[in-house]
Amino acid sequence: MELGKIFNSSLIYATFRSATPIIYAALCAAITQQADILNIGTEGIMLIGAFMAVAVSYLTGSWILGVLVAMVSGLVLAMVMAVGNIKFKSDICAIGMGINMFALAITKFLLNAWLGQSGTFMSPEIKSIPKVHIPGLSSIPVIGDIFNDWYITEWLVIVLIIVLWFVFYKTVWGLRLRAVGRMPLAAQTAGINVNAMKYQAIAISGLVGGLAGAHLSLGYSTMFVENMTSSRGFMGVAAMYFGGAHPVFTTIGCLVFGFTDSVGARLQANGVPSQLVLLMPYVVTIVVLAISMATKMSAEKKRKSSLVTH
Amino acid sequence: MNKKKKIDFKSVANVLLPLILALIIGTIIILCLGESPIVAFKALIEGAFKGKLKLGTTLASFTPLLLTTTAFIIAAKAGGFNVGVEGEVFLGGITAAYIGINWTFLPKPVLLIACFAGAIVVAALWAFIPAALRMYYNVSEVCTTILMNSVALYITNYLVSGPMSAGAANAQSDPVTVTLPQIMKPSSLNVGIFIAIAVTLLTIYVLNKTSLGMKIRMVGTNPANAEFAGINPKHTFIKAMMISGAIGGIAGAIEVLGVHGYFLNNFATGLGTNGMLAALIVKNNIVTAPAIAFFIAVLKSGAMGMQQATSVPKSLVDTITAVFIIFACMELIGNFRKSKKKTDEKQA
Repeated sequence: MELGKIFNSSLIYATFRSATPIIYAALCAAITQQADILNIGTEGIMLIGAFMAVAVSYLTGSWILGVLVAMVSGLVLAMVMAVGNIKFKSDICAIGMGINMFALAITKFLLNAWLGQSGTFMSPEIKSIPKVHIPGLSSIPVIGDIFNDWYITEWLVIVLIIVLWFVFYKTVWGLRLRAVGRMPLAAQTAGINVNAMKYQAIAISGLVGGLAGAHLSLGYSTMFVENMTSSRGFMGVAAMYFGGAHPVFTTIGCLVFGFTDSVGARLQANGVPSQLVLLMPYVVTIVVLAISMATKMSAEKKRKSSLVTH
Repeated sequence: MNKKKKIDFKSVANVLLPLILALIIGTIIILCLGESPIVAFKALIEGAFKGKLKLGTTLASFTPLLLTTTAFIIAAKAGGFNVGVEGEVFLGGITAAYIGINWTFLPKPVLLIACFAGAIVVAALWAFIPAALRMYYNVSEVCTTILMNSVALYITNYLVSGPMSAGAANAQSDPVTVTLPQIMKPSSLNVGIFIAIAVTLLTIYVLNKTSLGMKIRMVGTNPANAEFAGINPKHTFIKAMMISGAIGGIAGAIEVLGVHGYFLNNFATGLGTNGMLAALIVKNNIVTAPAIAFFIAVLKSGAMGMQQATSVPKSLVDTITAVFIIFACMELIGNFRKSKKKTDEKQA
């Protein structure tokens, strides 16, 4: 096993590439988390997005249409969750898991009944998201390898991180959203329509979740597989916890998982059993999450002890 | 008395209304597929009950489901959302298989008990991890348990295709040397169903009649209040999660020792999720949950019959069940009533 083969410059892009779907998922969860809603349904929203993107791209031959329909279907599913949680008082974890099961079942059903396939759906007629090729860049040695030929959605995720950071922390809407998350009663007293804010947050989260799925099935790969998200939505939620719903820190969490994933893929080529490689990102997620929560907790304790009031 | 009756009506209606809504949606979809809903539903019922084999299969799939439902509920009573039952079933199963294959120096009855004991211990320890992380570091147990399911799946996957492999084409372990007697051949129904029922009854008793159950319920409703009353909410929560894990482990052991006779790769996929579903539909009411678990078992085993008799794919049944649960999570009746009350007040 040569370390040089595992850790080289192409690992940087590999890390980012396998982290991107999780970053999208984590941002989807972060938006609602700012309003104190735990979006367990990320996984399901992503899955339905992935399916719709492939189906529409296959039927119409347009990836843009596929991505748009994926986002809309994510929005629809998210709104079911929003209405259930806000209007009909269902437990957010319960309805989130319900949404996940629904997405898993309906994509399986539509794959059978609509596209007449089962298990995996692959076709040359699926138009994938195009790559961005910058001609001048390829002549520069290392930078060219790393930054050239990214998918459009991979660039888009960076834009999205910055936009969300700006929206959360620099706009009135973001301030209101965070106020709703911190203390709904105070927000209400200040004249903010709490439920409207929650609906808006979940709606945007649904759009991002749909996009996450579309990137997974049209960018990251060009096919649809039953349950193809394989817990990426939940990893996103874990990363969101790690980053405290801050878009940038959340992304760092996702990159850690992406790094584990791509190092694992290289280790597998060197004879490490595949199952042990596959379980690594999950274990790393749990460990990183535990450590980050523990440090956060001790920091909080320190802060509290310096402000002893009784 | 009158008040109690009202609550009962409400909780029953809160299950029936979503069921009816889900069935209507299912009927519409079947009509869209160009099939007759009556034929499809008849095929579903026949697929679940007609003949000894089908009835036995339904009951055999009810067994682990009953246990996973109970496991989910006991964690939920302490305020935990244990999605990890599935992983606990897997690990319980692999432990039972390992002991059943390798500890042949023990006499058979002792070996059987050792299998169950091993499954219980390993699964309970597995459940201890997310519970302790939740209590001491405030890590969401939903997240950790879901991720740990994948870890458990890959661990067992690795064991049966590597160190414990029987060398067959399918990844599976060697046959265990001790099995639970099957009671309704040719189906795989075994005495495990009585174990499952006993465990469920015991859990109901523990939850409602013992001090541990009282503590669990108090911590679940209001941890701060429980702490004030002298109960350690952390220990109680962890205990409840570990019991939940142990019950999952028993389910795994029954599947391995009773149904398959060896550890079959991926054997428990969906067991944990379906158990959680049954529990969520009745909002963690442990007395009515077994009925829902049975209902889901009927749907699952009937779906195959439906797929064979008509062109309706069996994934439709999963879809309908998911719709059912989404509606069941919502407090449809309570909300309608409240809004009706409000309009009444406005009019008055």
